[in-house]
Amino acid sequence: MTPQDITKLIVRTSMRDRSAFDLLYRQTSAKLFGVCLRVLNDRAEAEEALQEVFVKIWTKADRFAVSDLSPISWLVAIARNHAIDRIRARRQRTAELDEALEVADPQPGPEAQAVAAGENERIYRCLDELETDRAAAVRGAYLKGESYAELAERHAVPLNTMRTWLRRSLMKLRECLER
Amino acid sequence: MSTADTSEREHGGDDIVAAEYVLGVLPSEERGTAARRIDAEPGFARLVDSWEVRFAPMASAYEPVDPPASVKPAIDRRLAGAAAPAAARPGMWASLAFWRGLAVAALAALALWIVVPYVIAPEQQPQQLRLVASLAPHDSDVHYFVVFDARTADVGLSHVTGARADGRDFELWLIEGDKAPESIGVIPVGASVHLAVSQALVDRFSSGAVLAISMEPAGGSPTGEPTGPVVASGDLKTI
Repeated sequence: MTPQDITKLIVRTSMRDRSAFDLLYRQTSAKLFGVCLRVLNDRAEAEEALQEVFVKIWTKADRFAVSDLSPISWLVAIARNHAIDRIRARRQRTAELDEALEVADPQPGPEAQAVAAGENERIYRCLDELETDRAAAVRGAYLKGESYAELAERHAVPLNTMRTWLRRSLMKLRECLER
Repeated sequence: MSTADTSEREHGGDDIVAAEYVLGVLPSEERGTAARRIDAEPGFARLVDSWEVRFAPMASAYEPVDPPASVKPAIDRRLAGAAAPAAARPGMWASLAFWRGLAVAALAALALWIVVPYVIAPEQQPQQLRLVASLAPHDSDVHYFVVFDARTADVGLSHVTGARADGRDFELWLIEGDKAPESIGVIPVGASVHLAVSQALVDRFSSGAVLAISMEPAGGSPTGEPTGPVVASGDLKTI
């Protein structure tokens, strides 16, 4: 299925075309479930999040037209943002569990492979210009939805320091991406 | 300007807040504030969208995982509570009402984006200084938003979807009632482009006139009239 096909399905979904929505689910639910699982680290919660994500897609599909995102990126953004909203809401409750899973996360996993595959993307080149630990913080935040508080703890720096670090890194990234 | 604004500016301003939102690092409360701003402030929403675009390639690291079969029926149950039964009919994809509806929905979103800075500007000129149109696809996937500004004699085009065929150009036409289409010009390649409108044509732009895009040989129609298929069109509307 090409990006243009996905675009058509989203546009038809915005017009309440249920068969298009069903097909959109079949084509994209595995990717979006992967996003929810990665951020939430909990199968039952990821399943619930995925339900909510597709309800959002059904109700907000008309907004796709005003986004510059590719269709799949737009869907991923909805799933990521929703999963991050959920994890922010429950952060206190399961901080310990996240930590345990954090340790179990293998170092050169699929992430590293994907990085290798997409090395020509500018974002990776620009991340490479950052110091290693700061680039890792940006990647970790993006993929796992880590908060400033969690990043500060992992990098063993005060919260405000972490925030200053990351904001500087974001400004450098922006500067590099606009070059 | 408050102290909070000043310190925010020193830290990179709204653009960096947008980046922090997209990255997902903000604490719950600040994240909620940013989410409300996305709904209320089109300018901020654009910043967020730009950062989503910048970071999007990293999402290739998310491995697809098939969800259990129980999820889709659960979604259907949720939707059954929220929406009327599916209104989809065969042929709906091609129906005029369908595309009108889409154009209206898209226009509403665009109008919000354009109107907000206008509401803030104090001296608003009388009617029809600005017109908008959503040029929806005709047997194609070509879709543009158009904003016409009479004061600057300028047409701004925002490319939503649809590519040119190799060696072909998109040409923009103004159609008033039954009159022959008038060429506004060949649309430059790009996500957000502008065309200058000749003074003779400026007065012809009015609410209800139609804009259409045809596929033409590179450089535009050789005859001065559309020669290729119309790939998108839409009505001009006052905002």
